[in-house]
Formats: sequence, C-alpha cells, structure tokens
Amino acid sequence: MMPIEDRVSARWIEVGTHIAFTILVASFAIYALQILDPLVSMQDLVRLWQLPVEKFVAETGAPTGWGWLRLLGKGDYLNLLGVAMFVVVTIACYARMVPLFVREGKRTQALFAFLQVIVLLAAASGVFR
Amino acid sequence: MDWWVWPVTLLAVTFAMGVVAVLAGVGGGVLFVPIIGAFFPFHLDFVRAAGLLLALTAALSAAPSLLRSGLASVRLAMPLTVVSSITSIAGALLGLALPTDTLQIALGLAILAIALLMWRSRGAEHPDVPRPDALSLALGMHGMYHDPALGRDIEWKVHRTGAGFAAFAGIGVVAGMFGLGAGWANVPALNLLMGVPLKLAVGTSGFLLIGGATSAAWIYLERGAVLPMLVVPSIIGVVLGAKLGVRLLKAARPAHVRQVVLILLVLAGARALLKGFGI
Repeated sequence: MMPIEDRVSARWIEVGTHIAFTILVASFAIYALQILDPLVSMQDLVRLWQLPVEKFVAETGAPTGWGWLRLLGKGDYLNLLGVAMFVVVTIACYARMVPLFVREGKRTQALFAFLQVIVLLAAASGVFR
Repeated sequence: MDWWVWPVTLLAVTFAMGVVAVLAGVGGGVLFVPIIGAFFPFHLDFVRAAGLLLALTAALSAAPSLLRSGLASVRLAMPLTVVSSITSIAGALLGLALPTDTLQIALGLAILAIALLMWRSRGAEHPDVPRPDALSLALGMHGMYHDPALGRDIEWKVHRTGAGFAAFAGIGVVAGMFGLGAGWANVPALNLLMGVPLKLAVGTSGFLLIGGATSAAWIYLERGAVLPMLVVPSIIGVVLGAKLGVRLLKAARPAHVRQVVLILLVLAGARALLKGFGI
C-alpha cells in the first residue's frame, strides 16, 4: 500500500503545479503581448541581459529581495508570481507533511520535514543576502 | 535582431532539449545551463537561475505520477533533501560571488566531469544490501514498491547512509552553484553508494531535487537574477518537449540518444572552458 506521505505529496504537488503553470503561461502572454508595460523595455533587455546580475540591477533599477511584489503591475515582474508559485508549492507540500508524520508517530521524519520548511523559509526570507 | 526572436528560439531549442532529456534519461538542467550558457548571449547568472527553475518545474511535473506508482519515496528523499537544500544555498551564494571567468572555467570542468561520469557509470538494477545501517533504520529509509516489469513487489533498504549524506552535501553545492539540477549525481549516489534499486533511485532523484532547486532558486530570485524572457519560454519548451519525448520513448534507441547527449555536453563544456579563458 502506498505510504500516506507519498499520496498526499502527489496530490498537493499536482494541484499546486497546475495552478503555477496556468499563472506562468497567462502572465507571460500579458508580458509578450505588451498588455502591461514592462519595467525594462524589450529593446533595452536585449542589450542588458549580457551583464552580470549586479550590474543589470544597477542599470535598470530592477528590484531585489521581495521588491518584485511592488512591481506586479509591470509586465515582466508579473511573471515572478508564477515562478514564486512553484516555490510556494514545495514549501506547502513539506509543511503539510509535518502534522501528517506527527499523527503517524513518525517523529524523526516530522523533524526533517520541519527542518526542510525552515531551510526553504530562510532562503526566501533574504537572510542570506 | 528583434527581441521576439530570442523567446521563439529558446522555445524551439528547449523543446528539443526536453525530447532529448527524456530519451537519454537525464535532467533538463544539465543540458540547459551548458548549452544556453555557451551559445546564447545571456549572462551566466541568468542562465543558472533559469536552469534551477527548469529543473524544479520538471521535477514537480514528474513527481505526482512517480509517487503514485511507488517509484519515488518521500521517506527516502526527505533527510537527504534537507542536507542538499542547505548546501545548495551555499553553492548559489558561492556562484554569485565568484568572478564570471572563474565560474565559466569551473562550469566547463564540471560539465566535462559529468560527461565522464555519465559515460563510465553503469547502474545496478537491484544492488545487494546485506545489512541496512543503524542510521537508515532510525530514519525509516526502507520500504517496498511494485515493479510492473517484473510483476512482483521489491523490498528495498539502504546502507552507507552517512556517506550518502556527505555525497548529497557535495551534490547540493554543485547544483546550486551552476544551476544544473542534480539528477546526473543523485541517481549514482542513491543506487551505487546507498544501494537503492535503480528504478526507485531514478524516481526518487526527481523528488530529492525539488528541495535543493527551490532553496537555491530563491537565492537567485531575491538577487534579481530571474529573467522572465529567458525562464518562461524555456520552461514551456522543456515541458512540452518532455511530453513528446515520453511518446517517442517506445520507438527510440536511448543508447544512441545518450551518445548524442555526451557529445553535446563535451562540446558545451569545452566552449565554457574556452569562454572562461577568454578565447
């Protein structure tokens, strides 16, 4: 019989990934069709994507950290919503496993799932900047 | 050149990559970073971020069916993925701190080493694990899956768990630093080192990659290195290509495709080295 953690993970990942893909494709269509103005124009982008990220940020005023959330009205940065969704799916999946393992009496595995959530949240928090 | 040529070209190239990756049994990330990094104008910082996101989305897409078929195990992956997630953050930070030339040289060497590893390593279908070690038992790293090809249940257990943790720590650094994903290393580490049956090792490798790719990808995202014009067409191309690859799998000759992949990796690795030396 399939372990419950495998069954639950499969369901959460499937639903989350579908949502993320839908957002990603829709937001890219908005960007490519230029329905919303981008922060960096297509003409400038072609010139600037050869630069290291630090110089790119300095030249364009592109946001770092969570700054992209303030720019969701821009065609290019709207796409980061779909990208971030993939990350959120992963965190949500591991977080869901913590109570699942605890209920099953698998404390060591619950601890590892918890640690995984902490590591992912730490990466997302910007603490390593 | 008009801007729209780039996403269209990326879509076509990554579609082909998706087909080839499935037929050759390798992850998309290991092809994407060296090939796009070597032959496209994007800076390596953006290519590595896109490579990680590509590896992540491919692994997430495959995970549900692998988990449901019993060919991936959360129980096996979980402790190892915590270690590789931590070290892949370190790898991403290191990659972003290094000068581009140094990184190009290191990438070239890594790609050539991966090509050698792929050429030399032969998986063991059902490795012999005489006695599981105490650590693997404490972590619950054992179980059973049904192999439809053999028509029976296969019991699995693991050994050398400590060495496995060390191996996944190293894999995390390389994956985060170069944005390569980690399927090329996860499978040999699980199968040849820890004694996981080959099919389970292949299936679990993808699930294992999810944690590491997520943590490293976030480091690149928060530095501003995620370029939608590069990332989104590439993700769509690889996912669609992989779907066609699965259909072609019955008729194709994987050994031949694998040889093509090895040649591509050697060329891309050599190109990265030359770029690093300014040639």
